[in-house]
Amino acid sequence: MTHVRRIAPRVCMSLAVLVLSAAEAQAVERFPPPDFTETGHTLPPLVQPPPGAAWQDILHVAALAVGLGLATWFALGLRSRTAIAWLSVASLLYFGFYLGGCVCPIGSVQNVTAGLADPSYTVPVTVVLIFALPVVFSLLVGRVFCSGVCPLGAIQDLVLLKPLRLPLWLQSALGYVPFVYLGLAVLYAATGSGFIICRYDPFVAFFRLDGSAGMFIFGGAMLVLAMFVGRPYCRFLCPYGALLGLGARVAKWRVRTTPDECVKCRLCENACPFGAIRAPTYEGGPQQ
Amino acid sequence: MSETPKSDGHLTRRRFFGKVARGTLGVAAAGVAGGALVKATGARQVWQIDPFKCVQCGQCRTHCVLENSAVKCVHDFAMCGYCELCTGFFYPDPNALNEGAENQLCPVGAIRREFVEEPYFEYHIDASLCTGCGECVKGCSDFGNGSLYLQVRHDRCLNCNQCSIAAACPSDAFMRLPADRPYVVKHLGKEAVGAVPESGGDGS
Repeated sequence: MTHVRRIAPRVCMSLAVLVLSAAEAQAVERFPPPDFTETGHTLPPLVQPPPGAAWQDILHVAALAVGLGLATWFALGLRSRTAIAWLSVASLLYFGFYLGGCVCPIGSVQNVTAGLADPSYTVPVTVVLIFALPVVFSLLVGRVFCSGVCPLGAIQDLVLLKPLRLPLWLQSALGYVPFVYLGLAVLYAATGSGFIICRYDPFVAFFRLDGSAGMFIFGGAMLVLAMFVGRPYCRFLCPYGALLGLGARVAKWRVRTTPDECVKCRLCENACPFGAIRAPTYEGGPQQ
Repeated sequence: MSETPKSDGHLTRRRFFGKVARGTLGVAAAGVAGGALVKATGARQVWQIDPFKCVQCGQCRTHCVLENSAVKCVHDFAMCGYCELCTGFFYPDPNALNEGAENQLCPVGAIRREFVEEPYFEYHIDASLCTGCGECVKGCSDFGNGSLYLQVRHDRCLNCNQCSIAAACPSDAFMRLPADRPYVVKHLGKEAVGAVPESGGDGS
């Protein structure tokens, strides 16, 4: 008898679930809300803490533009590594730790792709600007975004202890990975399968000081690697860096060695922790 | 692309290709950004859960990038039946209708039960304890009025570019809402859920 009594409510419940799910079990008024005639009780308000204000997004875009302008001036005008280093510390604090990493130009590639591919997906204007500003700068003056504004680059620069020189074949082979990553990210975003750049962002957990164990392990491993290999994420993974690299390759006023004064000592080639400096080539002159 | 070279030098093959490549990439970038801008919205957007699609799978608790999820249960009091035997509060077939831990459905005791008048009780969610597991939401939706539902709380949400709960959500209940209307008020009904393209069509 007790057995039946135990089973019966369950049967009733599962029957009810079946019936209800068939009738779209939502917002059904099974128990009419009382009107509290005795006590005159009033309903408590719905708790709805507001999100951040719109001016924060505008400040975000303005800070990006100012950062890019400063990085351009420091790289091409002052030619000062120290100034760029301080700028990247400021960027790390603002774009990284204060804003928590989202939305960043690297991830915005996917928003723009999804916006183009999916008619129902709307992209805020600020996100389009966050995508476009570093690209425009890269076509004019090279990857100033990477050098001084990107918080992911800054955090790797800060932990760099003893950069090892990677063999050239390895550098050029791994240099193709970002393009594959970019292609996959665009494909995933265009088909609505997800934003893989954001899912595998190495440092966002550090910026927020919160996140899953997997994020901390991947980011931690990347930081340990960054102690001995200059900016491993930027050079061998970052899909936005690949995009900006295309722009920088043909940039109008990019950073160059000064060919007229170069004595070809190759000290700078050895000093560059990112393996970015090659022997100077003469441009425009008939002597080559 | 066919602009005249600078006065300091003549147009070499190298410079010409540089110009062509720069022009091409510039046009491509402008096209992509312009195409996105055509449909772009001026409004800031935030993540939110459509309670009419939510199936209370429990992944909101586990999949948020925050250790303590930004998704919490909220209570739309206007829909609540103020039941004494609240199926969102009590474990099925409870020993007694009191606040004893063994009777409570909520694993963290985040629901406070207050007597109002015979036979009505009011249920408050303590958001600082709530983990967003959706157990109470399931109980309330299955057997009650569905006045308990999960919402992304914007005092906690970091507004990630891609919400990691949204990526895991099995019922596609996550959506973007404009920041000036960031919450769903459930008693206003399905039609009031803003910015959901599907909500207009299938609301029959």
